[in-house]
Amino acid sequence: MSAPAISASHLARSFGTTHALVDVSLDVEAGTVCALLGRNGAGKTTTVRILTTLLRANAGHARVAGFDVTEQAPQVRTRIGVTGQTATMDELLTGAENLETIGRFCHLGAANSRRRAAALLEQFDLTAAARQLVKNYSGGMRRRLDLAASLIHDPEVLFLDEPTTGLDPVSRAEMWTSIRTLVAGGTTVLLTTQYLDEADRLADTIVVVDRGLVVAEGTPEQLKASIGRAFIRVTLPEADPATLEKVRRLLGEEAEVSGRSVSAPAPHGLTTLEEVVGQLREQGVTVHEVGLEHPSLDEVFSTVTDHSGHPNVPATSTAGKA
Amino acid sequence: MSEMTVHTQGQLRNGLLDAYTATRRFLIRGTRQLDVVLGSVLIPVIFVVLFGYVFGSSIRIPGGNYRSYLMPGLFAMSILFSSNNVAVAVATDMSEGVVDRFRTLPIARSAIVIGRSLSSFVLGIPVLAVMILCGLAVGWRPEDGLGNAILALLLFELFGFAIGWLGVLVGLVAGGAQAADVIISIPTFLLGFISSVFVDPALMPAWLRVIAYWNPVSAVVTAGRQLFGNTIGPAPAGVWSLDHPIATTLGLALIIIVVVAPICVRLYSHSER
Repeated sequence: MSAPAISASHLARSFGTTHALVDVSLDVEAGTVCALLGRNGAGKTTTVRILTTLLRANAGHARVAGFDVTEQAPQVRTRIGVTGQTATMDELLTGAENLETIGRFCHLGAANSRRRAAALLEQFDLTAAARQLVKNYSGGMRRRLDLAASLIHDPEVLFLDEPTTGLDPVSRAEMWTSIRTLVAGGTTVLLTTQYLDEADRLADTIVVVDRGLVVAEGTPEQLKASIGRAFIRVTLPEADPATLEKVRRLLGEEAEVSGRSVSAPAPHGLTTLEEVVGQLREQGVTVHEVGLEHPSLDEVFSTVTDHSGHPNVPATSTAGKA
Repeated sequence: MSEMTVHTQGQLRNGLLDAYTATRRFLIRGTRQLDVVLGSVLIPVIFVVLFGYVFGSSIRIPGGNYRSYLMPGLFAMSILFSSNNVAVAVATDMSEGVVDRFRTLPIARSAIVIGRSLSSFVLGIPVLAVMILCGLAVGWRPEDGLGNAILALLLFELFGFAIGWLGVLVGLVAGGAQAADVIISIPTFLLGFISSVFVDPALMPAWLRVIAYWNPVSAVVTAGRQLFGNTIGPAPAGVWSLDHPIATTLGLALIIIVVVAPICVRLYSHSER
């Protein structure tokens, strides 16, 4: 496998007495999407600022697109696109002028910048607003323009710092579509988010950061599996006490009844499910539904970022396939 | 060896291109902020009325009209006050996300501040033009030929370019737009009033007089009066700086640029890293 598009090891950064980053390491393979997931103040933005040459780390080092972010910042800058949390477009310029300016700064030349700007405005559905001043843009339009601006020079690696924070649900869905389209084109993406569903939907791998430390990482499925065991849930057509009791005994000691369904841990996943279905059939129990349930990423998130003093799950998930 | 030369040439070429792009961006912005431009014209115009008529009616200048004496001074004042806009604009940029965007682009580090300074220089030209029209309306005339008048205007522009860098510097160190506005007002007011703009420094107390004599504003105003042929008013001060106002203006402007510009570039590229 080729070298990772982003590779950071043991990054640390303090601001005065605040330790924004304590120890963050991560690798992102080329062509994949990695989500940096964490609460406000977890160190997501600091990590992105270091990786995008905006901030120096106090310790550790990082390479992006094969270049060191401190020693070879100019080379890194020609290969990355960045969309920050705050709008970075000039309000007094039109959408087209903003993109053209960025294109010229990337040394594409005047004519080429104009062409790229027009194409990107088209791609992000902003052609109609191309000649309007950005101060008249809606929040969603600004984010899309920002994203377009970070793509003008066809970057190898794209950084998106909370790309959908503060957007309404429709704009958010539009951003997701835009990001997915980019990924399909082969761009490596590192995005930060506080939203689990966003990480779940967009990312190949998730790195959970909390108080400047990586507290968990893996695929969304691995993370879910590392936290909780899967559950099997048997739902009956109606809440008949006798049948419920029969099913409860069948599912073992940890089984719990709630309403017209019984649930119990399914340590062997699908195998457990098959066994249970077989036994239910043997005993002639009519069921409404039988299924496996995985813990949600929400549960994962609250478990690994639990501040109450419980031991966290191991930093690297060991669970295998989904 | 030759490869390195090519590399450096490419860098220089890109650097110039970046400075041009930045200047272009700030100029487009400038033309969309006509209220700001109008404001920077309005204050000096008000000064023409205030000092030319309100105070000027009580000020007697040997050998001519006070307004002819005053106008070159007000040209300098209008330039001084436009540095407020630069400081505010730079501080605004620094506090918004725009600067982050620029920093992640492969731009020459000096391009943004140079662009800011150049664009303020270009935007200062129409302001000076309005002031000239204003002067002509109240009876001021260049009386020493077109060549010298043009020379005087070039000198005022050079002074403006130097002062613009002070504006950039204040914008970079101030915490925000409002702070920048307050901070820049202090040197502009002091430089503007402790000078030969309104009155003869010879009549000031000794300690103020020294400041007034070596103030670049006094130098450019005295040079302007000389080149415009508005040589009415007080006799030469007998101080080197004002006996050679053109050389003093050139010298002080160059010193400001050579000292302040590199500081600005450093501050800009190192802020928050």
